[in-house]
Order: sequence, then C-alpha cells, then structure tokens
Amino acid sequence: MSKVQPAIISCGFSEHASKRSDVNMAELVYEAVENSIQLANIDWKDIDLIINGNMPAFEGANMPELWMGDHIAAKNKPVLRVTTGGTTGGSVTIAGYYAVASGLYDTVLAIGFEQQSCGDTALGLASVAIGEIVIYPDVGYDYGKMASNMSAGAAIGVAAYQAMNYMRRSKATEEDLARVVVQNRRNAAKTWWTHLKMPTITIEDVLDTPYLSYPLRFGMVCPASDGACAILFTTEEKARQIADIPVYVNGVASVANEPAILAPNMEGAGQVDPCEQLGAMKSAELAYGQAGISFPEKEIDYVEVYSPFPNQELMWVERLGLFEENMAPEAYKNGLTAWDGELPVNCSGGVNSTNAIGASAMKDPLRPHCKSWEKLQIKYLKRSIRQWGMDGVAQLI
Amino acid sequence: MEKVGIVGYYQVKPGLDTMMSPPDMIFTAVRGALDSAGLKRKDLTTVIGCTNDYYDGKTISNAYKVDASGAYMKDESKVEFDGAHAALYGVFRVLSGNHKLAMIYGYSMPSCFPYETVRVLELDPTFDRTISLLNSYTAGGMQMRAYMKKFNVSIEDIAKIAVNSIKNAAKNPSALPEAQQSNISVEDVLESEILSSPLRKLMYPMLCDGTAAIILAPEKQSLKITDNPVWITGVGSCQDTYYLGERDLSISTSMEIAAKKAYKIAGINDPKKEVDVAEIFGHTVCEDLILAEAAGLCEQGNGTSLLDGGPALNPSGGTMSGLTPCACGLTRIIEAVKQLQGEAQDIQISGAKKAIATGQVGFCAQNNILYVLEGGGN
Amino acid sequence: MEVGDKIKMPLPEYIKKEYKKTRTLRGMWYLTNYKYKFNMSRIKTYLKGLKQGHVLGIKCRSCNRVFFPPKTICGKCLVKPDQWVMLPETATVATASAGYAEDDKNRERPIPVIGVRQDGSDTVLMHNISEGVDFDTVYIGMPLKIVWAEERNGGWFDIDHYEPIEDPANELNKEENKK
Repeated sequence: MSKVQPAIISCGFSEHASKRSDVNMAELVYEAVENSIQLANIDWKDIDLIINGNMPAFEGANMPELWMGDHIAAKNKPVLRVTTGGTTGGSVTIAGYYAVASGLYDTVLAIGFEQQSCGDTALGLASVAIGEIVIYPDVGYDYGKMASNMSAGAAIGVAAYQAMNYMRRSKATEEDLARVVVQNRRNAAKTWWTHLKMPTITIEDVLDTPYLSYPLRFGMVCPASDGACAILFTTEEKARQIADIPVYVNGVASVANEPAILAPNMEGAGQVDPCEQLGAMKSAELAYGQAGISFPEKEIDYVEVYSPFPNQELMWVERLGLFEENMAPEAYKNGLTAWDGELPVNCSGGVNSTNAIGASAMKDPLRPHCKSWEKLQIKYLKRSIRQWGMDGVAQLI
Repeated sequence: MEKVGIVGYYQVKPGLDTMMSPPDMIFTAVRGALDSAGLKRKDLTTVIGCTNDYYDGKTISNAYKVDASGAYMKDESKVEFDGAHAALYGVFRVLSGNHKLAMIYGYSMPSCFPYETVRVLELDPTFDRTISLLNSYTAGGMQMRAYMKKFNVSIEDIAKIAVNSIKNAAKNPSALPEAQQSNISVEDVLESEILSSPLRKLMYPMLCDGTAAIILAPEKQSLKITDNPVWITGVGSCQDTYYLGERDLSISTSMEIAAKKAYKIAGINDPKKEVDVAEIFGHTVCEDLILAEAAGLCEQGNGTSLLDGGPALNPSGGTMSGLTPCACGLTRIIEAVKQLQGEAQDIQISGAKKAIATGQVGFCAQNNILYVLEGGGN
Repeated sequence: MEVGDKIKMPLPEYIKKEYKKTRTLRGMWYLTNYKYKFNMSRIKTYLKGLKQGHVLGIKCRSCNRVFFPPKTICGKCLVKPDQWVMLPETATVATASAGYAEDDKNRERPIPVIGVRQDGSDTVLMHNISEGVDFDTVYIGMPLKIVWAEERNGGWFDIDHYEPIEDPANELNKEENKK
C-alpha cells in the first residue's frame, strides 16, 4: 500500500482569554470543535478518530476526554489521548498526521486545549519538578536555599538561561528581544482568537516593565490563557473534494533531548549550553528530510514558532536553518519577518501572545491562504516545557 | 492494512512494592526488549511512552524518563491511556513508512499513590466527583449485578471463572507472586471479603508495580530481525458514552464495535472458531466475561461456557495475575505473543495460531481496544 | 518573594473582552499523598566523597562522558555507568541568571544563580557564587573554584559555594564578556 498523504482541511479555534469564566472545559473544547466542523462543512459522523491532548495538571482532571465524549464528537468512535507537556499541541497534531498516514483512519480530529484558570498555574508547573526535588531535603538541601536558587529560573524556567547564552553568542540586546515582542503582539491584534491583542505597543513599553529574571522582563513573557484548538485531518482525495485549498502535511518530527538545568535524581543536567538546542536541529532535519526540503531558507514561505519568550523565537528560527547563526536579530531589524516581509514569522501573534499550553503548539496553518501564497510549509517546534527548570511564580495578567 | 511485527518484548517482574525507582524499571524493560531482539539503541527511530501524570505524581511524567527509555535524540511521544493505546500509536508510526523500529513502553507504580482516590479525578467534575461514590469497586459491583440479572448467571459460575484465572496465574512465571494461589476453590472466592456487593475480593485484581515494553517493526524489517515475529493483523478501538446510566452495563457496545472493526481488517469471520487464545483486560472477573462475549468469543450471557471449550480465556490469568495501570494492555499483548511463539511454558495452549489481546481505560471499560495477532508459524 | 506569589505588575494595555461568570467548584490534587522512589546508590557514594573533600564524577565506559553529579543511566548508550573518577576543584560558569529579590527600596538587587560545569565533566550543576560578587561581572566561561563548607557531614552543601578565580585570558576576552 502506498503511503497516504494527509491533508488539513480546517482549523477551528475558541476565543482565548485570561479567564474564560463563562464555560467549563467541555464547552470550551466544543467551541473549537464546532468551529472546525463548520468550516470544513462535513458531518460529525464522518469523523473516524478523535485525538485529544492537554496538560492534565492544570485542570485537575485525569483523562478528561472520557467524560467530555459527547462534546468532542466521540460517541461510539475511537479516542486517543496524547500529552507531552508543553509540546502537547504539536504532539497531538503529529498524532493526527500519523493516524491518517497509516491508512487506518480517513478523517481525524485533533484537539488541543487548556483551561488554565481552572487550576493553579504555579502548582501545575511546579509539579514537573516537585516529583524530582522532594528528595533534596533528605541530603541537606533545605527549602530556603532551594527557593533562592530556583528563584532565578523560577518564573520562567530554562528560558532565562537560554537567553543569557544566546545573547552572549549573538550579541543580541534587550532591544532585540523587545522588538520580537512588539511584532508578535501587533500581529495578534489582527486575529480574532488571540489573547493579548496590543495594536499600539512599542519597544519602550516593553522595556519599561521590571525584570523577572535577567534578562527577561515582565512585558516579554507569555500570558496564561484559556483556549482550545481543533484541526481536521483527512486523506488527499477527500481533501480535494471537501476543501478549496487543502494543506498537505509533508514532514513531522519531534525529538527529545536530555534535561537542562534541573535533572531528575539529583544528577547533573546533560545540556551544557541551553541555547544549543540539538533537539530542535535534529527534528528540523528529520522533518525536512521527510518533506524533501533541501534549502529551508529559500523554500519556506511562512513560519510559526512556539516561543513563549522572545529569545526563544530568535534562537529557534536560527536552529531551524532559516537564518545564519546569530543573524536572526538582524533579520527582525530589517523587517524580513514582519507581516509583509519575505519570511513572515508568527503572524497570529505566536505563543508570546496566547499560551493555552495544550493548544499552543497547534497554530493556524491555513492563515497564509488569506494572502494566497503558492507553496506553504508548516513548521511545528518541538521543544518542550518539560525540559525547563522549575516554574514557581504565576504569570497572570 | 499491512502487517506490523512484534519483534521483541520484555516484562519487568511485578511486585507489590518494588525497590526500583521508575527510571530503573523503564531502563530494565527497554534494555531487556532490545536485548531480546538483538538490536541496539541506535536502531530505534521512535519511542512512545505510556504513563499517566496523576498516577505518577509528576506533571509531564515522560520528561525525566528520556534517558531511561532510550529516547535521547529520537522521535518521542506519550499516550496517556493504556499501554495498548500506546501500541496503537506505535502502529500508526510504523505503517506510515516514516519509522523502521518503534519502542513502546508503559509503567506505573500503584505502591506510590492511592489508586482509588486518584481515580476520582477521572470522574466528571460537576456531578460524579462531588458525590465521589463512583470508584472501580462500586462500578464493578453494579456491572456484575446487571450482568447476573440480565443473563441469569449465578455467582458460583462467575466464581468458577475467577478460580480458573487465579490457577492460571499460579502457573504463570511473570505473574505477581502474591496473586498466585494454586489451591483455591469456589468457596474461597465466595467467602472472600465483599468489596461492593456482589463483587468479592478474589474477583478483583491486585494492583502491582510493573513495566512492560514491546518493539514494533514493519513487515520487511521484522523478517530481517527475527524468524518468528508475531504479526498484528487487525486493530479496532471505540469509546462508549461516559455516564453509566446511559449504557447497558451487562454488555459492552464499545467492545462489539471495536472487535468488528478489528476482525474485518484481519479477515476473521467466526471468532469462536478461528481465535485460539484470548487475553482480555477486564477490571474484574465479570468484566472479563462481558468483554469476551462482546468480542464474539461466545454467545451473549454464556461467557462461563468458555471454561468448557472454544477460545482459551486468559491462560495467563488475565488481570488476576496482577494489574498495573498503563502497562496492563501491553502485558496482555506480551502474553498473547508468548502463546503464539510457543514460549509460554506451563500455561501454553498448544497449537495457538491466532490470538486477541485487549486493552481498556475508563470506568466499566468505557474505551476499548482490540488487537488481532497471528503467529508466524511455530 | 515566595514561590507562588502573584506578581502585580503593570503591563501595556491590551484589548480585553468581558466574559460572564459561571458557577465554580473546588478541587484539589493532593500531592502529599504520593510517594516518590529514588535510586540513591550513586548519590550516596558521591556524598561520601564530598565529606572527604573529593569531587567524584561517574564515567560511562561506552561514550566516555563524565557526569557530575553522577547519573544512574547514560541516555546515549542505554547503560548504567559504573566507573568513578576524581575531578579537580576548578570549574567554569556554563550559564547564569539572576532572580530579583523584593526589597523595600527597589527591586534591583539581583541574586545570581550559576550553572557550574566542573572541569572534566559534561554536565551542569546549579549552584551559588560567593556573596558580594556583582552579577554584572559574571560571564559565561568565568573560571571558578570550590569553597568547601566549614563542617562537612555528607550533605549536598558540603560544597558551600563557588568563588571566582583569576582568569588568565581576561584581557583577551574583555570585549566578549561585556554585557
């Protein structure tokens, strides 16, 4: 049997906000599912498999798709749950791709959601590390010292350390970071479902906020949002019948790396340079290989990068092979990555403007069709929150 | 569907309270599986884990298991249902043509968390969780009552199945030692403690720490690795509605739909005659019967007739040989594989050619998955 | 500043939409009911070494990487490393950041936290630098030396902190190290 070519026919969103206090989890997901089914103009009975993912610690519900079955069109259908922490959205999308590519299922609905106002974000993020650090007091590392040592990365995790190393390598300044934030937030203002819409933000506004951990300021960090996103996958033949412009998914990859900064079992952390990102480079290589792309900077027209913090956006567009080493800040300064530039990045505002953790890695792959580009490549970033240090402080707005 | 081969497996011996840490157990299982197939870590292209954040007490429970599971610089993901669902994702990856070797592992440690209390978090938060009367004991009891009433099955008959399973577990070298009782009778079962009327303690499995790992490969590669691969020829899965009141608890519609799909793909027309071994993951002994009937192994309500003939039901003891959440589905697949390769020792069913293995998740087997396995020829 | 505190900070205005409030129910994840199991075999040997003033790392025979503090499983080779090696007392800064303490007067007193790479090892350990060292002078690649605790009793902080030592390449690296 020849390999089946999966295609995306619609992308549905719910409204993202700091507190969606008007809906519970199931209704939030239903908004996204209804949106995607309506846009694709199919009957929910035609869906063959539903894949769902979120970060369970944030809502306090274990395997919510069991009781949300009716809201996700799952009556008497197979359901699968895929969760990998911060990269859950990406992992769910990849699972949707593989489900269609295997030939076993024709139409697959991939859902990612998070309702962070349901739970305590601080506890949810801290519990990544709580399981690993409970042993520390037994060896003489008391809580007071732990709090002060973790306070540097606490609010943000490894991102602050990544920023330090990246800024040393590339000589990027805080102004470069602020520029990325301004671009993202202004782009977010043009999309209906994003969280932080700031059409008039400037670099001075961002640099005016106090530091959280050097060098990241409060104005640069992502929000904690409630939201859901649903993507419909189907085979090539069906996609041509249903959608005007189906989006073909050609390559997917997700690579795991050793822990950075905080390792389990009191070990030393294997990643010596947190901004080296071997995992990102390897997954980009695998995905390009599957898609048959040899020159990413020439062949790719649009990029969506999962970067809750601006330094990560600069770092990852380089690791993906789109810019030369340390050239990303220049590219942003010259407007290459703007809405109307040569290689637009994060036209939906990116994760810097909307971070419903389970859904964040599923970006809107159909967006570029509004601008009718000929060839489209979608890049899903595989770098998970799970490899960060402990996050202790809530980032609420 | 092209055939997917199971080329290696390993089960860490379960224990009620093991002295191993989670990375140690996963390392043992993954290393054991690779060694059993004669492969190296560099041959792997993808690793799928099956762990559950709430059972582990850690968010992103696969984050710090990258070293132990051999997933360093490999395509890695995690499924949070049962081991058998993780195997389904592995089957997707292998069939897509992108991957040549997939490692699937699942583990949990019920000695480290209060199982029933944590399962409350699976309930619907608005109604069921606030009342908190629904847990696996009460759900099992209600299911048993419905089954016994509808099909007029006596509790002695169900106890006979329990005795059969426990005696099989006593002969199974990979079973939990504390669950192995070779001198057990129907009276012992009927006089054991009542968990939730009419469910008795010896009809409910013992929870244990454990890990299981299997290795999947496409057809061509499987034949290069081993002479005796076991093929996955069909798979089907389905999820029922959540609310117990909306379902008929004495039957399992989700298993019927899943089984039909799997049999259609595998080309099985009459499971009663064509299936030799059935490894069913039922959360109680009565659920084993309900699921076996729904999978077409016998007539509705006649599950107890499986003791007299037809497909062998749970020759390894099923869940009565020890239940490890998240790994049980993989254990069922491994037991079926052992039967088909002729390596099941004391519990071998002779001449086994086709087998089914099931996995489930949710209260009263809400979400079921069924695999049809075929031996390469032994 | 406690872990878990909400920081009330000014942020640039953004377009908000008001949502109706619906009923809520309380829930809790009782992490205290969980037990966690750890493999302490390597750590025990490491701590014994610290008590005697030795800096021990563990080496994987297959890839020759040295892990400090010791690892139970080498991810690249999928084996359990078992060869102990002694490491020197010098180290370098692999990464650094600063958390900002809430002062009465202002919030600008950074507490530096450094990621230390012991000479000869391939891993990073988070630790403290001597008090009084200004965060602006900390740079990546800065050489350090262990300062032992006065009384060592086999605990994690037998290495009390790291102190900066003279960098022979300081003049050459001055431009690189400017923040």
